[in-house]
Amino acid sequence: MNGPGRQGPPARGSWVDWLEQRVNLSEIFSFITHFGLVYTPVDTQKPVREVLRDVAAEPVPRYAHGARALGLLAAILFGLQIMTGVLLAYYYRPTPEAAFESTRTIMRDLPGGWFIHQMHAWGSWLLVAVIVLRLLRLFWEGLYRAPREVLWWCAVAMTWVVIQSDFTGRLLTWDSHTYWSTVRGLEVMWAIPIVGPVLAFLLGGRTVNADVLIRFYVLHVMVLPAFYAAFLYLTFATLRRVGLSRTGPAHDERTIHYREHLYSMTMLTVGLFAILVTLATLLPLGFHGVADPYATPGGVRPPWYMLAPYFLLQQLPLPWLSGFVLLVAAVAVLLLPLWLRGDETRERRLRIRLAGIAVLVAWLVLGVLGALLERR
Amino acid sequence: MKTTLAFLLLAAAVTAVHAQTGTPAPLAGPAAVTAASGRCGVCHPAERVQFEKSRHALESVRCISCHGGDDRSLEAGTAHGTGFRGRPARQDIPRLCATCHADETRMRPYNLPVDQYALYQTSGHGQRLARGDRQVAVCSDCHGAHEILASRDPASSVYQLNIPQTCGRCHGDRAVPGTRGHRDVLKQYRSSVHARALIEQGNLRAPTCVSCHGVHGANPPNIGDIDKVCGQCHTAERRYYTAGGHAVTRGGKRPECASCHEAHGVQAAQPERLASSCAGCHKGDTRRLDLGRRLWTDYRTAADEVDKAAAMVAKADAIPIQTEDYHARIEEARTYLREALPAAHSVQPEIVAGFTTRARAVGQEVQKELEGKLANLRQHRYVLIAFWFYVLLTLFVLKRFRDQAARNR
Amino acid sequence: MPIPEDRPIHLPAPDPADRRRFLTVLSQAFLALWGLGAAAVVGAYLKAPEKGDAERTVSAGLLADYRVGEGRLVRHGVTPFYVVRLDATRVLALSAVCTHVRCILGYEPARRTLVCPCHDGRFDLSGNVLSGPPPRSLPSYPVSVRAGEIFVQL
Repeated sequence: MNGPGRQGPPARGSWVDWLEQRVNLSEIFSFITHFGLVYTPVDTQKPVREVLRDVAAEPVPRYAHGARALGLLAAILFGLQIMTGVLLAYYYRPTPEAAFESTRTIMRDLPGGWFIHQMHAWGSWLLVAVIVLRLLRLFWEGLYRAPREVLWWCAVAMTWVVIQSDFTGRLLTWDSHTYWSTVRGLEVMWAIPIVGPVLAFLLGGRTVNADVLIRFYVLHVMVLPAFYAAFLYLTFATLRRVGLSRTGPAHDERTIHYREHLYSMTMLTVGLFAILVTLATLLPLGFHGVADPYATPGGVRPPWYMLAPYFLLQQLPLPWLSGFVLLVAAVAVLLLPLWLRGDETRERRLRIRLAGIAVLVAWLVLGVLGALLERR
Repeated sequence: MKTTLAFLLLAAAVTAVHAQTGTPAPLAGPAAVTAASGRCGVCHPAERVQFEKSRHALESVRCISCHGGDDRSLEAGTAHGTGFRGRPARQDIPRLCATCHADETRMRPYNLPVDQYALYQTSGHGQRLARGDRQVAVCSDCHGAHEILASRDPASSVYQLNIPQTCGRCHGDRAVPGTRGHRDVLKQYRSSVHARALIEQGNLRAPTCVSCHGVHGANPPNIGDIDKVCGQCHTAERRYYTAGGHAVTRGGKRPECASCHEAHGVQAAQPERLASSCAGCHKGDTRRLDLGRRLWTDYRTAADEVDKAAAMVAKADAIPIQTEDYHARIEEARTYLREALPAAHSVQPEIVAGFTTRARAVGQEVQKELEGKLANLRQHRYVLIAFWFYVLLTLFVLKRFRDQAARNR
Repeated sequence: MPIPEDRPIHLPAPDPADRRRFLTVLSQAFLALWGLGAAAVVGAYLKAPEKGDAERTVSAGLLADYRVGEGRLVRHGVTPFYVVRLDATRVLALSAVCTHVRCILGYEPARRTLVCPCHDGRFDLSGNVLSGPPPRSLPSYPVSVRAGEIFVQL
């Protein structure tokens, strides 16, 4: 792999020079890296080879290491989802009559179709897991404090976008289980005040029909990835301003060159890809059959991330109150950096962490209870 | 006085018409002389209303055609005067209807048959009537007296869907002595698969009472004739039955369709009865009981194989694997199984085995091929191992590049 | 380098930089296989299948293989159908599934009727019920003959 900044023979770079006289290649490089890959601002006035050399030699903390790699993993997975998603979109048809059939054609008849479909399906699971873990990690390390509030907001927003992508994406197969779990999920969403009616308006109604499918498709394919890209941009814009965090014991001051970091990222990509391929091959996610809007199969639950609100809204009296509480909780999570300000002492940090654990455990317990509601 | 009476009767008739139909009567008041009812309706408004709905009213049949008398007079003396027959006696009704309906010249324009009276005289009803029993059905009992409609008219009492009810007026009533111990046949019929096809599925080809007993010559089928009756539709079953060992009469008795299947409350094919119905006659005859059980075992093992194959196809569909061919073959196998059941009426295991072996073979073939396809999928796992070797090698190479970059730092 | 006459010929010592460059190129080629693999998979996937929409059109064989008056059962998925050659040029296709309880029909060429083995329901070649319990007539499918091959549109 060509590392950036390698000293090649001058004759080889002549086309680069030729191009550079006609368009600012450094600016193009800067534009691309606005959305990721590089953590420091790029000087667009310098020639591109110099820029690449500077970037390669840039000192970064040992970033692809442990929990810090979560952001990288999320970005890699997002890229994979885009690639496999575009390939799937070549053959997928978003109408109730053709959705299941086209998905089945991809899975069954097209060479490698099953592979691309399974990569996309498992990729979505991993992406949701990684992005949620990243959020939890940011909370744990207190990385929402000034001046990193925007990072937190972007992280929350990206979690929301990814969960919505998962929610809209699962309807697209028009499989009987995913269809009905979407219906259940929508029931939960509509029960939340303010958000509910707005969503009902945006999604075009309360029944899942052909129009809703098209809207879900547009959201999943165009709108949500655009939002994700926007928040990704914001994240990196913030990083360019506040720099990468230095966490770990005694604020590890070791740095490496960006060049090595790039190799580490490539290794991460390869490893992640290998894990995805293994999951896609050994544990393929299957179908239950085409969705029938008039026949509900038994035991279909709302998606797992909606089980906790589902339980609250079902079991507690005054469901509007539960909805309101959930809304307030969501806003509180979003505005966390604004109300968790103050000096960071050890006990304070410990208390915050414990409170976080308590909320997470409560959420998990509620989710399990919500899942058990279906057994009866 | 007469005009007041006429006026009151007019008012009564008009209200009667409104009460009955709810819509304005299409004809003028009952005092009008219509071709069909004449003036009889002035005193007999109910009958007139019924008659005007009938098929006869559209033709040149009038009240006097059957009842005689004068239909232009409003005076009872004249109206019920010369030639008045009044209400015909029950035993005279068939002959009365036959004066027109056995006349070929009259019936030809309508393309109606003219053998009803002749057939009726051969029927159980007709024979009893001839012997003086008046508690039997005559024409008006089934067709109605005044409101006679064509049998194709869905409102007619002899429309296909209404026939069970019509016959059931007598034969569904436990109080009326049934023939050969058949009581409550209407209820039995209604529980049958024939009635379900007729009423729930709307299949007008489904058998009703007249399909098996005859229409005007209605009689219960004789011993030895029952398979011919059922064989009108169940030709395959009849073919196998007549080729088999049951088609013999001994001592005036013969195992026929109704011996194992109920006559009126027939249910859909129940293959389990292949084993159990033999014991009804062949008590203690182990050889024959074994034969019956063998038929059932043959069928059941074949059906099991087909079911297993169908389950595998369903599982393969979920993966998904290409299964269109397999669906067709499962249908083929099920057709063989369905053919095996009529073949069982021959009570010859070789004939039945002809179908069950074919069904079982198809089932086993499908299972084997699907297992092959599933095994192919498992090959993916070996490719995965090779892939992991490549992955580890790649990671190693990348690590070398990175360490090199670190050393050049 | 001058070659001394009294010593055996030595090849120049391999330059470590050359070897490193060779290994680097080799490693890069190895890593490029990933790109090739991805290109192969994606390429095979993207190659538009010839069938596609035409899945609904099924080939029923060559016209020359059918004798006049011959009817053949084509086992296609859950919609098997009969292809009957009426004369030199006309071919028709109709469903082979009886409308009574879905048994697969048989064909009697002598009488040009489709017969059901289960209850002896009979259909003519237009799909009309001639006798027996079937309640509805058989659906037929449009047939086209292209280049001597019969195609049925389901």
